[in-house]
Amino acid sequence: MLTIDCRGQACPAPVIATKRALETSPSGVCVLLDDGAPRENVTRFAQTRGLTVTETTDGQGWTLQISGANKAAVQKPASDNAAVPGERILLVTSDRLGDGDNELGRLLMRNFLHTLLETAQRPDRILFLNSGVLLTVQGADTVEALTALAAQGVDLASCGVCLDFYQKKDQLAVGRVTNMFSTAEQLLDAGSVIRL
Amino acid sequence: MSDHYLVKDGHCLAVFNSTHRVLKAEGLLKGIGIEILLIPAPRALQTDCGLALRFDQKQVHAIMALLKNHDLLPTYVSCLHNGQYIPCEDSADAHH
Repeated sequence: MLTIDCRGQACPAPVIATKRALETSPSGVCVLLDDGAPRENVTRFAQTRGLTVTETTDGQGWTLQISGANKAAVQKPASDNAAVPGERILLVTSDRLGDGDNELGRLLMRNFLHTLLETAQRPDRILFLNSGVLLTVQGADTVEALTALAAQGVDLASCGVCLDFYQKKDQLAVGRVTNMFSTAEQLLDAGSVIRL
Repeated sequence: MSDHYLVKDGHCLAVFNSTHRVLKAEGLLKGIGIEILLIPAPRALQTDCGLALRFDQKQVHAIMALLKNHDLLPTYVSCLHNGQYIPCEDSADAHH
């Protein structure tokens, strides 16, 4: 069984590392974690995908044995409709949702991302391009909701070229920076892509 | 229990019945540096508009006074206590 050491890592890094480890180790993984949010979030991530979690502690940290994995379970929560296999990706190419009034568009986008927290299904990944990256930077009203989504295992990736263009490269508040090579691969490999 | 990840015990929600009014209220409060977040109203408080301003309960009196002065009172205000939404007394003269 693959073992990964996530001690000392802040959320959502342990959840993302666990997800990736499960994708490469279908028989299960052993995760070393700090107590608190990392342990809670990784446990929640695994349980929502129907995986078995066995916890042990040595008094200083926690060891989570996660088993029952298969690639489909890792990629999609157990409650999801499995009609479309593969990752479900949200492609966010603007900080506004829909055409029309800009203020209303920004409001709708915020509303949508906040509402994702309340839905039974989650995307596996959200890719932010063009002005969509303005949703992931310091000061954006969407950072709190996106941070909560990331803690639940949703991978958030913002286009580095776009962050640079808007002069926000050093202000990324949630998720990671990505490039067009990875973006293109992930879109082509996805089971479904929802463009907002 | 609250069904909303963004609302914790000690938060209040000012629920509005108009998109234009909630946007004006958001602009007013943010413009003077008050920390608020515009979020979808939780299912338990859903209205046609479905939008609410979230803020700390300690700010409820100041915020309601400001909104009243600008004729931007919400439809009602509820605060989360032990996972239950409790109507706030400050919303007694709210906009309907």
